[in-house]
Amino acid sequence: MDSLARVHFPATLSEAAAILRARPGARLIAGGTDLLVKHRNGLLPEVTDFIDVTGLGLHEIVLADGQVRIGSGCTMTAVAGHPLVRERFPALVQGAMQVGAFQIRNAATLGGNVGNASPAGDSIPPLVSLDAVALLFGPDGRRTVPLAEFFTGPGKTVLQPGELIEAFLLPDRRTAGAFLKLGERRAHAISKVSLAFSCWESAPGRREVRIALGAVAPTVIRCRKAEELLSAAPWPPPAELVDKARALVVEAARPIDDLRSQKEYRRRMTGVLFQRALEQVRA
Amino acid sequence: MPTQELIPIRFALNGRTVEARVPPGMTLLELVRREFRLTAAKEGCGKGECGACTVLLNDQPINSCLKLAASLRPTDRVVTLEGLADDPLMVTIQKAYVAEGAVQCGFCIPGMVMSSYHLLRTHPQPSAAQIKEFHSGNLCRCTGYAKIEKAVAKAAAAAATSGQPAGGPAPEPRKETR
Ligand SMILES: Cc1cc2nc3c(=O)[nH]c(=O)nc-3n(C[C@H](O)[C@H](O)[C@H](O)COP(=O)(O)OP(=O)(O)OC[C@H]3O[C@@H](n4cnc5c(N)ncnc54)[C@H](O)[C@@H]3O)c2cc1C
Ligand code: FES
Ligand code: FES
Repeated sequence: MDSLARVHFPATLSEAAAILRARPGARLIAGGTDLLVKHRNGLLPEVTDFIDVTGLGLHEIVLADGQVRIGSGCTMTAVAGHPLVRERFPALVQGAMQVGAFQIRNAATLGGNVGNASPAGDSIPPLVSLDAVALLFGPDGRRTVPLAEFFTGPGKTVLQPGELIEAFLLPDRRTAGAFLKLGERRAHAISKVSLAFSCWESAPGRREVRIALGAVAPTVIRCRKAEELLSAAPWPPPAELVDKARALVVEAARPIDDLRSQKEYRRRMTGVLFQRALEQVRA
Repeated sequence: MPTQELIPIRFALNGRTVEARVPPGMTLLELVRREFRLTAAKEGCGKGECGACTVLLNDQPINSCLKLAASLRPTDRVVTLEGLADDPLMVTIQKAYVAEGAVQCGFCIPGMVMSSYHLLRTHPQPSAAQIKEFHSGNLCRCTGYAKIEKAVAKAAAAAATSGQPAGGPAPEPRKETR
């Protein structure tokens, strides 16, 4: 039943990338909270090797060159507790704190949440709302991909054979924001629908706005029309603009019926979450 | 089936350095139960949902059912409930659970009290909301949680009046002999 034959412990990114490219049955493992559940349920029959990435020094959070750089190996607990993150990115703090429970957050990494590429991954809408860029390391060197363009479908990404996520780069700015999710219960539940809202001052009395939705499309999506409307308006936006933006947010959602929830519920709740997020940010 | 290599590991288990050779897919839960016969931590779900397998890794609670044993390092410190058997705070917690009738079938309790311990270490005077929050990763099918929450509040009060060291890093756990 167990096809797993080896665990590799590379000491460098190049070594990890080389193993990953050479062995088609190899998967990266960080916290293991997604991968081990799948493996132990027999959902990964093709997997022969794990590559442990926790020895690659990917758990730093630093400020450099106008960017906050968050290593892909940072746990949700570490991300939500770090002063560089807490002072700048409330949506990300709230997103990381709503992943699972303490036991999960102490193991679950940002790189694993993004690498798993679930449209319901709770760190993803916040990262997208903060204009995060993924720094990728592969056999041919490094490249960067905006996180909004990183996902191509549920569980699918632009990662090429041998490539892994090294870090996330977030523009260094103070933002206001919120992350709200609805699940089966308030804590420790997968999102049926989620929304991240982030904004920052672009000119006196104006704010650049980002809105990202989780679990209502094959990938996390941005609501560009609503973002443009609110970014062009004075801040705080007048009531009739909020109504318009809310309609645009609901329009952007393309939810499905699945075992966790229904299409119509998800669509309507998207609007509710938008309203709540805006109220939280304005308060 | 391909041949599985055995991976040598070394780490601190309940304050004592231990060594083992583990198959690639073995979890920390399987390791402590099968190899070290420490059976307080239980497999309720094996999926990270129920918290019956909760242990402390470097002072933080984790689900041992989702931790690859092979990935343990010499600097890692694992503490199971057995390692806290003589810890004054843990004893206070256990007494409060008993006093409040917070234990029914008992299957969830070893994991539950690990979360209580983590809470009271980091928040000696927790609010009702914090008590709920810190136990949100532990499922109980019997008690309905109300008595567990009361027990944790009682333990907090008892620890405060007895002047037990709360907050700060966890004490050196009891030495475990195999
Ligand atoms: C009980 C339970 C509750 C959960 N609740 C939530 C929740 O509320 N919200 C939520 O979003 N998630 C939840 N999850 C899912 C999971 O915990 C998260 O997705 C977590 O962030 C995964 O991180 P990890 O380090 O454990 O990943 P792993 O399981 O180690 O890896 C996940 C995937 O990412 C890949 N990967 C890992 N590291 C990298 C890297 N550096 N570069 C590229 N790919 C990489 C792996 O190959 C694998 O495919 C839950 C899981 C469980 C078991
Ligand atoms: S057995 Fe580990 S969480 Fe249920
Ligand atoms: S006492 Fe039976 S599961 Fe909690």
